[in-house]
Amino acid sequence: MKVGIVGAGSMGTTHAAGWAETPAEIIGFTAETTQESGALAERYNAKVYPSFDALLANVDVIDICSPTHLHHEMVLKAAKLAKHIVCEKPLARTAAQAQEMVIACEKAGVQLLVAHVVRFFPEYALAHSAVLEGQIGKPAVIRLHRGSYRPKKPAGNWFLDEEKSGGILMDLMIHDYDYARWVAGEVETVSARRVTELHPDAPVDYGLAILDHRSGALSHIAGAWAYPPPTFRTSLEVAGDRGLIQFDSDGTAPIQNLILKTGGSDAPDVALPSSPVSESPYTTQIKEFYGALAEGKTTRVSATDGLAAVQIAEAALESAHTGQPVKLQPLAEAS
Amino acid sequence: MIKIGILSFAHHHGEAYISNLRNMEGVELLGVTDDDPLRGQTIAAQNQAHYFHTYEDLLEAKPDGVIICTENNRHRPLVEMAASRGIHILCEKPIATTLADAQAIVDVCDKSGVLLMTAFPMRFSAPLLEIKARLDHGDFGDVYCFNGTNRGELPTKHRAWFVDPLLAGGGAIMDHTVHLVDIMRWFTGSEVATMYARSNKIFHADEVEVETGALEMMTFQNGIFATIDASWSRPQYWPTWGGLDFEMVTQRGAVVVDAFRQNLNVYRHDWQRSNWAYWGSDSNHAMVSEFVAAIRENRSPRVTGVDGLRAVEATLAAYESVRTGQTVQVQHT
Repeated sequence: MKVGIVGAGSMGTTHAAGWAETPAEIIGFTAETTQESGALAERYNAKVYPSFDALLANVDVIDICSPTHLHHEMVLKAAKLAKHIVCEKPLARTAAQAQEMVIACEKAGVQLLVAHVVRFFPEYALAHSAVLEGQIGKPAVIRLHRGSYRPKKPAGNWFLDEEKSGGILMDLMIHDYDYARWVAGEVETVSARRVTELHPDAPVDYGLAILDHRSGALSHIAGAWAYPPPTFRTSLEVAGDRGLIQFDSDGTAPIQNLILKTGGSDAPDVALPSSPVSESPYTTQIKEFYGALAEGKTTRVSATDGLAAVQIAEAALESAHTGQPVKLQPLAEAS
Repeated sequence: MIKIGILSFAHHHGEAYISNLRNMEGVELLGVTDDDPLRGQTIAAQNQAHYFHTYEDLLEAKPDGVIICTENNRHRPLVEMAASRGIHILCEKPIATTLADAQAIVDVCDKSGVLLMTAFPMRFSAPLLEIKARLDHGDFGDVYCFNGTNRGELPTKHRAWFVDPLLAGGGAIMDHTVHLVDIMRWFTGSEVATMYARSNKIFHADEVEVETGALEMMTFQNGIFATIDASWSRPQYWPTWGGLDFEMVTQRGAVVVDAFRQNLNVYRHDWQRSNWAYWGSDSNHAMVSEFVAAIRENRSPRVTGVDGLRAVEATLAAYESVRTGQTVQVQHT
């Protein structure tokens, strides 16, 4: 299985480390500049391709870790050439694009594997299975929080470009929309607010969203790009009618660093969560995707899940803009 | 000597106020009364407090002030009785379950020239006072939003009426909206402008008629926005009754405040569950002290009846939003 990776940012790098743990062969990388892709290509003994099209032509599987707004065009091209696809979250910048991508992949008979990596984090996966087993009864109120600092790319920071990334309500909080939906089922209504709606020049951003699930459960999602680097913390709580599950990354960190620093910030451009486990959740995810591609095994996240998460994120953006809740179109009807 | 009476023990805080008053200089607990005589006499006997047989009897004994601890919907007649006799009032929260009652309570105290204080103990919480001081000092820059929770167990273990739609005026929304709304009004100096709320009844679905789960999203007139989780989502074996916490996001980052975090973890063989023993400062004591001081100094208390009214307005708007499914404008009288 020949894999090509698009994008050499933090996700391209992380996915490459995952593929290296599978029998698949990373044949090449492409990125905005050959300087970025060069280092990765060297590490994995792969080639640098000058363009997406050149890479695509030579692979069985294309792994798309480019900025969100580019996913749509790249996935459609890949589907046309009958290539299987791994795509970073958010699947697309708009629900209409995501819908088109899902349909195109269905028609082409190719897999579209969306990297909702939170489902592969052991604490989130365990909480999900505990709920599914009925350990806490019927979920009633779910609270998910994900907080860090603003992504700080040196140049061309697409994360902060509303048109490209969708900002905090899409890029960051989509993890938890997807998780809430995984735990409590389809979402019917979304209401959201964010700091940068009223204060576009604020030095921090913060989003809040309330989701109504068809099951009657309510989810509260909070996302922060407001903390001092290198903070990255997440928490979850699922309260059911027969019990309660809580997780807090700070409260369960097995190592606390109280090391004297010699100055300078060593925080990465984009914060990633970390609690030492024997296998990185990013690697677990790529291995599961490999199993789906090589052996037709099922994965815990479908292309439709990727679409549904974008639909919620888009509704959150609209709600933050209008101040009113937004009702979602049932996906079956929409397609 | 400032003389204080307690009207009703429908609210379990009434018992705490007895010991608060007893531990204050220059204050006399004149006595207590209750429309549930058995409950009132039992609590009076346990605390060696004088028991008056009727509200009238207690009011005729001329206290300087009374603390009203009836069910939420029964505050108004007692406020009117006390105000007409020129007796100052500290009223449990929420001060009423309808806008008409809340407004009437504020108006009658105004007209009678008596002090009306709403029992919002969080205004006297030491951690919250610290945040307020830092806000006023400009440590945080602009405030952008709050992510708050005020959650508890099903409160029936304190009193059954807390889940009675008429006596309590609702469920989790009525119980747990007012504190955070008041805190945010206090911190920001702004009024709630819009309210969106969703509720459900999944916790204790077969035990109660009222909502037990609730999430609210509001904006203030100055653009600050907030959410409140008002749910009765703590299990009955939670280490304490519940809690109140919030994240406040500002120009300079965020602060996470847990008003009831000052606890010991206690594990006892005979309980077979962990228990949080609170060692933080007693906000109720500071609140009752302020009531007494306001009476003594003949000045407005730091929390007024209007503060209680504003919190009721926001709470009732949450119920309206649950009914309509829309974000609603909050009307202020």
